[in-house]
Amino acid sequence: MNLNQIMTDLSYFIPEMMLTVILLMVIVFDLFQKAETSIRAGYLALGGLALVTLSLVGQDVSTPTGIFSNMLAVDGFGRYIKLVVTIGAMLVMWMSFNSNELKERRVGEYYVLILTLVLGMFFLASATHLLSIYIALEMVSIMSYLLSGYLKEQMRSNEASIKYVVFGAFSSGILLYGFSLLYGLTGSADIVEIQAALAAGTISPALMLLILVLVLVGFGYKIAAVPFHFWTPDVYEGAPAPITAFLSVAPKAAGFAIIIRFFNVAFSNAGNPNLEAWTALENMNWQAVIGVLSVLSMTVGNVVALQQTNIKRMLAYSSIAHAGYMLLGVVVADQTGIAAILYYAAIYMLMNLGAFFVAIHIKNAFDTEDIEDYQSLGYKAPVLGVLMAIFMFSLTGLPPTGGFVAKFYLFRALIEYGDQYFWLALIGLVNGVISLYYYMRVVKAMYFGKMELPGSVHNAPLNVTILLVILALPLLFGWMIGDPLSAYAQDAVQFFIK
Amino acid sequence: MADFIFWIIWALIVASAALVAFGNNLIHSVFALMGTFLGVAGIYIFLNADFLAVTQIVVYVGGILVLLVFGIMLTNKISSAQISQSSVQKWLGLIVVLGVLTIILTAVLPHDWVGSITPMAFNETVAGIGKLLFTEYLILFEIASVLLLGALIGAATLARKEL
Repeated sequence: MNLNQIMTDLSYFIPEMMLTVILLMVIVFDLFQKAETSIRAGYLALGGLALVTLSLVGQDVSTPTGIFSNMLAVDGFGRYIKLVVTIGAMLVMWMSFNSNELKERRVGEYYVLILTLVLGMFFLASATHLLSIYIALEMVSIMSYLLSGYLKEQMRSNEASIKYVVFGAFSSGILLYGFSLLYGLTGSADIVEIQAALAAGTISPALMLLILVLVLVGFGYKIAAVPFHFWTPDVYEGAPAPITAFLSVAPKAAGFAIIIRFFNVAFSNAGNPNLEAWTALENMNWQAVIGVLSVLSMTVGNVVALQQTNIKRMLAYSSIAHAGYMLLGVVVADQTGIAAILYYAAIYMLMNLGAFFVAIHIKNAFDTEDIEDYQSLGYKAPVLGVLMAIFMFSLTGLPPTGGFVAKFYLFRALIEYGDQYFWLALIGLVNGVISLYYYMRVVKAMYFGKMELPGSVHNAPLNVTILLVILALPLLFGWMIGDPLSAYAQDAVQFFIK
Repeated sequence: MADFIFWIIWALIVASAALVAFGNNLIHSVFALMGTFLGVAGIYIFLNADFLAVTQIVVYVGGILVLLVFGIMLTNKISSAQISQSSVQKWLGLIVVLGVLTIILTAVLPHDWVGSITPMAFNETVAGIGKLLFTEYLILFEIASVLLLGALIGAATLARKEL
């Protein structure tokens, strides 16, 4: 690898470089701001992310390429996840401007940390080497710890941060142990070369299973799948609410990106996930293991969410359940399955951010997070009520919302794959019914029962309403206009292999 | 001779690790940790990883350990609080550890690890590592710098007084 090669690779690296430059600019800019004006650093960060989005859209990924000695991949799959992450970050920044929790404190660093988190997720979405996977994972994790502890004078925020650190450190250690075994067995840290060594079949099934479990612990914690979810409710409850919203969608999407890339490349038989004839590794039945994780995540997440009274905790458990739904797609892991996950990730981002943003605004305006206090909200704040109802319907997966279409694609992928995973689709459907109960409880509180009709109507500030409408419109009408997202997700299933 | 030294290092690691885990005094545990760190550096030397061995001593013994001692010394109310640790749930812990150990050993031991190793003459590694850091692993080196910058800013934010 010489200097010329590095210069060529850099031309594939423009979004990341832009993001780094913007991050540094925000740091320097923030130095010149007083606490009251530090929000301007946030505006700069948001503008910067808009530019990064443009450069991502313009990026040429028609031929998947490995850059920097194949440490990172530039391909359609990575770009899709990066777009989901950046757009999510922009929406979260927008909502952060309106959050009461962040008023009257220095927020420059808050936006710097979000930008660094986004950069970490960019790397995670494109990592193809054990070292780059690990560094990206740590970057995402460390920034998440810092952001969840950002309200440092609140005990709950401190608790969230410290719990996250302890769980995170532990699962990183376990992941590294798995990686070290992989490296020791295959003599390579590149996932394509690992695949070649594993497919040779000289490694005993017991050892393969051990590696699978160790690697799954590390990745599973990032997507908050059961049984690696214990940190989720406390972190989600204690962290600043916009960060909770962000953590429940973006690192989850990036975590799924690395799971899919890693499993589809390293643990496959043919080593070419772009082919129709892709099959999983023979002496390691990881599809069944992921199927079990998926069932556990869906069931535990949904059943525990039933008992929650705090809206943030309820959404936290429901996000565990949604990780379970998305894992259904990983079980299939062929073209349709991955496209279904990508579609789900984008739709889930819209509806979950929407639900969180309404909750944040209700907290700002009425100072409550209790679902019971949503009583007659549909009359007190009609616009918010309708929007919240849309997000709840979509999270449940009821037609005609985007949530329904997303679930439909996942179940279709399972059923098309063959009879052996039909039961998984059934369990997924049953879980959809369970989730109906607790999502509808919010709607019921807002519209049914004993209503107190208020004298005046509460309206959210215009910019919050616009933000929520932006989130809700694609959920309602996306599929009517021919579902462009679905076509985009299908095109994005394109991996780099050497 | 080399075998003899290897087993001494091995004994040092295990004995001092046991002291860390089962000792009752936190300060004793921290100092026992030094034995583990030095022993691991010794293993690295056996693996011809000279740079790694020196880094292990500089970072862990010189940095982490000193940080731990300072952390204990600077903790508030040091005179009143008892600096001790107790091993709660000893038996449950023992069962879990033995279970995990059995699983790992049954999976790892049957594999022929030694057969895949070819003995090599000692080559100093510092120059090679330096070269690799700026060619093949360049991007990781750069990413790590952004990671550290972010961590530093975050740590300063959490630690400073709110103005």
